[in-house]
Amino acid sequence: MVEDTRGIDRTAFVILVIGVAFILTPIVIAFLTASLSYEEFVSAGGIGLNVGSSFLDNMRRIVTETRLPGQLWNSIVISLLVAGIKCAFAFTATFALVFYESRWNWIIFSLTIATVMLPLELLVITTYQIVANVAMPLNWLLQITGLAWLSEQVVGAKHEYKLSLLDTYIGVALPIATSSTSVFIYRQFFLSLPKDLPRAAAMDGASPFRFMIDILLPLSWTPLVATFMFWFIGGWTQYLWPLVAAATPDAQPAVVGLAKLANTEPDRIPDVPLLMAGALFVSFIPVVLIGVMQRQIVRGLNLSEK
Amino acid sequence: MADNAIALNDVRKAYGDTLVIPGLTAEIGGGQFTVILGPSGCGKSTLLNMIAGLERVTSGTIRFGSREVQELAPKDRGCAMVFQNYALYPHMTIRNNIGYALKVARVPKEERRKRVETAAESVGLRGLLDRRPSELSGGQRQRAAVARAIVREPSVLLFDEPLSNLDAKLRHGMRMELARLHDRIGATSVFVTHDQVEAMTLADKVMLLNNGEIVQYAAPSELYENPATTFVATFIGAPAMNLLGADGEGAGIRLQDGTLLTTTPFRGPVTLGIRPENIEIVPDGIPCRIVYSESLGSHSVIVAALADGQELRIATQLGRRMTPGETFSVRFMKGAIRLFDPASGKRH
Repeated sequence: MVEDTRGIDRTAFVILVIGVAFILTPIVIAFLTASLSYEEFVSAGGIGLNVGSSFLDNMRRIVTETRLPGQLWNSIVISLLVAGIKCAFAFTATFALVFYESRWNWIIFSLTIATVMLPLELLVITTYQIVANVAMPLNWLLQITGLAWLSEQVVGAKHEYKLSLLDTYIGVALPIATSSTSVFIYRQFFLSLPKDLPRAAAMDGASPFRFMIDILLPLSWTPLVATFMFWFIGGWTQYLWPLVAAATPDAQPAVVGLAKLANTEPDRIPDVPLLMAGALFVSFIPVVLIGVMQRQIVRGLNLSEK
Repeated sequence: MADNAIALNDVRKAYGDTLVIPGLTAEIGGGQFTVILGPSGCGKSTLLNMIAGLERVTSGTIRFGSREVQELAPKDRGCAMVFQNYALYPHMTIRNNIGYALKVARVPKEERRKRVETAAESVGLRGLLDRRPSELSGGQRQRAAVARAIVREPSVLLFDEPLSNLDAKLRHGMRMELARLHDRIGATSVFVTHDQVEAMTLADKVMLLNNGEIVQYAAPSELYENPATTFVATFIGAPAMNLLGADGEGAGIRLQDGTLLTTTPFRGPVTLGIRPENIEIVPDGIPCRIVYSESLGSHSVIVAALADGQELRIATQLGRRMTPGETFSVRFMKGAIRLFDPASGKRH
């Protein structure tokens, strides 16, 4: 059979070039703009394709004059928490769903899936209320059971438990982490494993927990790494919720800090070159991570045991 | 009762409303090699899983020696299992695969090493201990799975169709090895298969299941020679036993059209069973016509039609080529005829 591979190659090449150009153009513009000084930018009258020589100077200002370096650390911690919590919960939940059959499995699975359909952006106000006082359900429970009334009689004063997680790493990370998309990926992977594996482990005397740690975890390493990376970057780029949950600049992640950089003085033209330098600074870590882990990610999302 | 004998007493298994095993009672002799044989879906794997502790019994008791085990976890029953798909842990070396049970049981490292090596030695895997399962051939993987099972020195060894993934030649070799291994370690072996050759060659006793019930539980030769029902008769032996619908008229048994088959005395409608190799070609006997014949080298199998149209399989040493349509006549060896009730299929 003779195929016109040349024609296919050529078409593929053209499509690839268009795609690369589409993705790279904004990045190139960001780089170019970041190389201008504020004065050069203002006199040029907006974003263009001019090359300047102030790139290093802008970067230096980002590091020394803004809060971005500290906020970069916040981003790292929050993203690690988001990815870690997501992977840990999805892994254990999927383990239970796949290896332990129960009549209620489909209900549990549906509920798990439902979290995907309720993104955080939709629930920001409720989530804020809960994070502002995580003891709220406890108070409510005490109220319902009458224990609150009882303690009021004994102590003489009404007591409300209060524990706010606003402005904390965990308070920012937890709500972002509560979605179960990875369950799909892990489920497919677990189902591709030999069915007799858990049975063999049971015969060897391993408890379900041991099976999970000794057998399942090492086997799932590739999909785990891939999804971890995925959620790390997902946590890194979160904007709305961290903006709401972290009011002080010290607790804000870099993406929020970057946005704050834009509107410091309302009557001045924003320092776009500095902003662009900041954007490049903030995206540096995810880009490096993707570059390094590229192969792992592709292999892990391939959903097969290798 | 021997310490490692298994006693099943009215064991039932139901999934929801479906009764897979409706009350099974049997004793599996200690130290014996017992094969549970049956067509797929007959409940043989379920039965094995219940003995192993991988599935709960719905009701009934299972005893190992004098211990009641049906509520115990697999590891507390003292049995080990070899799985059909090997079920080796892909990320561990063969050494760790074999030694995993000992590690879980917190056996000291030095003893663990010794026992793993002894087990590997006995299945001929000594040199491959540091490889991973993916680097071994199918046969070697199966050996590793066997080593993993025997390393704990179990009193009961369970096999779940362990040879069905191997090619024919390897299967034969492994079969022999398993038989020798069984003799050497003296554990009670329970082997599930749907392959009657495995059952015939390996078993001290065969438990033939159909629809979750024991059809016959006897030595392989007994199953072959004296099948309890027409189901056993057709399930064991290849080519299968001939079953002919016939009528007993007191002094003999005839086909519907009056052809005399045998002078065995019987009265009433009957299913006459005769093994293909117990049919002789003689110059003067029951007339039949060749439909099809195939030569297997050592012998030929002929499919012939009787006068009333029923088909008869005949195994013969006769080297002569038979052509379809040719007529000849046969005789049934008298001691080899088995009579069954046509309604119930049970042996008369």
